[in-house]
Amino acid sequence: MGVGNQDQTAFEFRGDWKEFFPIAASNLLLTFVTLGVYRFWATTRERQYFWSRTRFIDDTLEWTGKGKELFLGFIMAIAALLLPILGLQFLIQALILQGQTVIAGVLGLGFYVIILFLAGFATFRALRYRLSRTHWHGIRGGSDDPGARYGLSYIWKTLVGGLALGLLIPWSMTSLWADRWNAMSFGPHRFESTPEWGGLMKRYLLLYLVPVGALILGGVAAVSSGSGEGVAAMAVLLVLAFYIVLPLIALGYYAAYFREVVGTLSLSTINFQFTARTKEWFLLFLGNAGLFVLALIVALIPISALGLLSGFGDMQPGQDPFTQNPGLIVGMILAIVIPFSLVGPFIRYRNWRFFIRNLEATGEINLDALTQSQTRVGSHGEGLFDALDMGAM
Amino acid sequence: MIPAWHYDGQTATRHEVGIVAEDDALRLRFADGRTERVPWADFVWHDRRDGASIFGRRSVDGWRIGIPLPMTDLLARRLPSQSRYGGLVDRFGIWRAVVGFSALSAAVILTVWKAPDILAPLIPMSWEQRLGDAMIGDLGGRICDGPEGQEALDALVRRIDPKGSPLRVRIVNVDMVNAAALPGGQIVVFRGLLQEARSPDELAGVLGHEIGHVRNRDVMQALLRQMGLSLLLGGVGGDVGGALNSLLAASYSRAAESRADTYAIAAMRTANVSPVATAQFFERMASDEKKLGKGAIAFSYMSSHPLSEDRRRLFMSSVQKGAAYTPAVTPTQWRAIVDACAKDPDVKEGDLF
Ligand SMILES: [Zn+2]
Repeated sequence: MGVGNQDQTAFEFRGDWKEFFPIAASNLLLTFVTLGVYRFWATTRERQYFWSRTRFIDDTLEWTGKGKELFLGFIMAIAALLLPILGLQFLIQALILQGQTVIAGVLGLGFYVIILFLAGFATFRALRYRLSRTHWHGIRGGSDDPGARYGLSYIWKTLVGGLALGLLIPWSMTSLWADRWNAMSFGPHRFESTPEWGGLMKRYLLLYLVPVGALILGGVAAVSSGSGEGVAAMAVLLVLAFYIVLPLIALGYYAAYFREVVGTLSLSTINFQFTARTKEWFLLFLGNAGLFVLALIVALIPISALGLLSGFGDMQPGQDPFTQNPGLIVGMILAIVIPFSLVGPFIRYRNWRFFIRNLEATGEINLDALTQSQTRVGSHGEGLFDALDMGAM
Repeated sequence: MIPAWHYDGQTATRHEVGIVAEDDALRLRFADGRTERVPWADFVWHDRRDGASIFGRRSVDGWRIGIPLPMTDLLARRLPSQSRYGGLVDRFGIWRAVVGFSALSAAVILTVWKAPDILAPLIPMSWEQRLGDAMIGDLGGRICDGPEGQEALDALVRRIDPKGSPLRVRIVNVDMVNAAALPGGQIVVFRGLLQEARSPDELAGVLGHEIGHVRNRDVMQALLRQMGLSLLLGGVGGDVGGALNSLLAASYSRAAESRADTYAIAAMRTANVSPVATAQFFERMASDEKKLGKGAIAFSYMSSHPLSEDRRRLFMSSVQKGAAYTPAVTPTQWRAIVDACAKDPDVKEGDLF
């Protein structure tokens, strides 16, 4: 069976936000009333929706993970890792306060290395879990690598990447991506990842040039005018450079990085591509930021109504508006929390849609040879990943 | 026989099959005449899409059958029903589950809220002292413990707190207008507060408040409550939990703060120390607050300290006409307290963290 051609893209997202809204809303309600415990089931329901609305060639993906797995994984991660880590952190802070800076420093360094290991380990396990719970045509992915080796290489590659003002970060990012994906498989086939980091350096080095350039330009402006205006111009240039130009260049680098790592990924006879350029990434983030603005507007309407009602307008100093009306504070909190809590699910919706729309695959699939994965299915989700609170993409 | 599609979980090949509902199993008939029997109990519901309900088998990874909708009554009865929210919620229905979970959560919050009131007094003072020592030690040498200053400070503390177990009140060389009660009967006064204070009576009022926290065993209660709540609500996830947490913690501190003020006023009355200076101190603080405008008032509800304006009125109204007030300590002692850090040669200076 042929994969992806001019007439039809291999991946297609057919979701509809009106269809997703009841899922997000009921997730929010249940998460609230269970003090957050339901969020593992909420994540599962979100993914079931995203996956089931994602078509690959002739059938949709299927998410087969369970909320209970994520919940147990989280509990295990808390018990086995997070509590000892918090204890160690407390100890280090106490030592610093007591003036034992040398011991605290040594412990702190060890702490940092452990955190690095866990971050790498967690990233690996999350990918492994996601692949093992993704079915297509009844076939799933997975990995038999437990991820400890990846955790170790994550330590040293991150440290080396940070050397020389972070000049080798493109190398560490691509190399870790390859380490991760080369350990993964789908059905009987291994993923193959062969990204090159050399091509990314041009965009990456721009990140260093901007601050230097802005300083030189600003300096010239300041000297040539020799006045307060020149200094003001320099300040404006610096602010522009740091808050607008620099993030845009970082985005440009990340777009190139993502095109490179996905474009050099293959599974048996299928090659993947990612088409999004900087402009599309920018629009994605702009839209996500727009969701926050929307939430703010939605929150402001009931809040200003409640505020007028309670007479904030003619309040006297020392008077407490809340003591007379405890229902008001609850209303205010709900008016703020509900719209902002719905931003998260919809950002994940937009991110997933962006990811699938820009993902392409070409090649040939032999369905008879795509046999079931023989990798072990771990029972405890991405608990560690969740516990360390790392992002989705 | 009803037409359906099927993946066997062995290969990705899609099979068109016919299905027949039997008494104890579903029979699949393949195009090549082969058949497969699947007991009803082995089915799990998976999805509903493209006009079909999709079921899997518990015992076979990746095994799927897509049965076109609408299904016959017989199939609908035998096959598992659609799962929407997860096992427990599906069983009770979402609204009943919401009510049940809300009641359960309220009970849990109430327990975590009330438990420290009972637990904190049960914790032996020696444990609390050890915890306090572990938490701060000697504050990295930042304590101004020159003999004269400490002696004068101890005299002030004895004046407003003559009875009860001895307290450890110390001056810390940090430029911060504040004082804090810590576990184990320790109280720290920051150098910034001494520089801001204009008389020993002011310091007596502020210290009386902190002593109130110690005597009410607020510190351990607050610590336990904070730990319990952050454990409980940390699970809600970033935004929601964090906001809720700080809010709950603050509304607790508000109650404890006013109890501590009441304690301070009573202690000063017994010691014949005038509350006027403390009220003036709060007035200076309140004028700082006023400069920040109405926003500060709304925010101060969230912050852990009560409104300085409110506190000023409370202290001012406790002044007794005709009382024989005397200064909390002598002018010499007061100088020694204010200069405690300057006179201490081996003290370190700096921020706490
Ligand atoms: Zn207080």
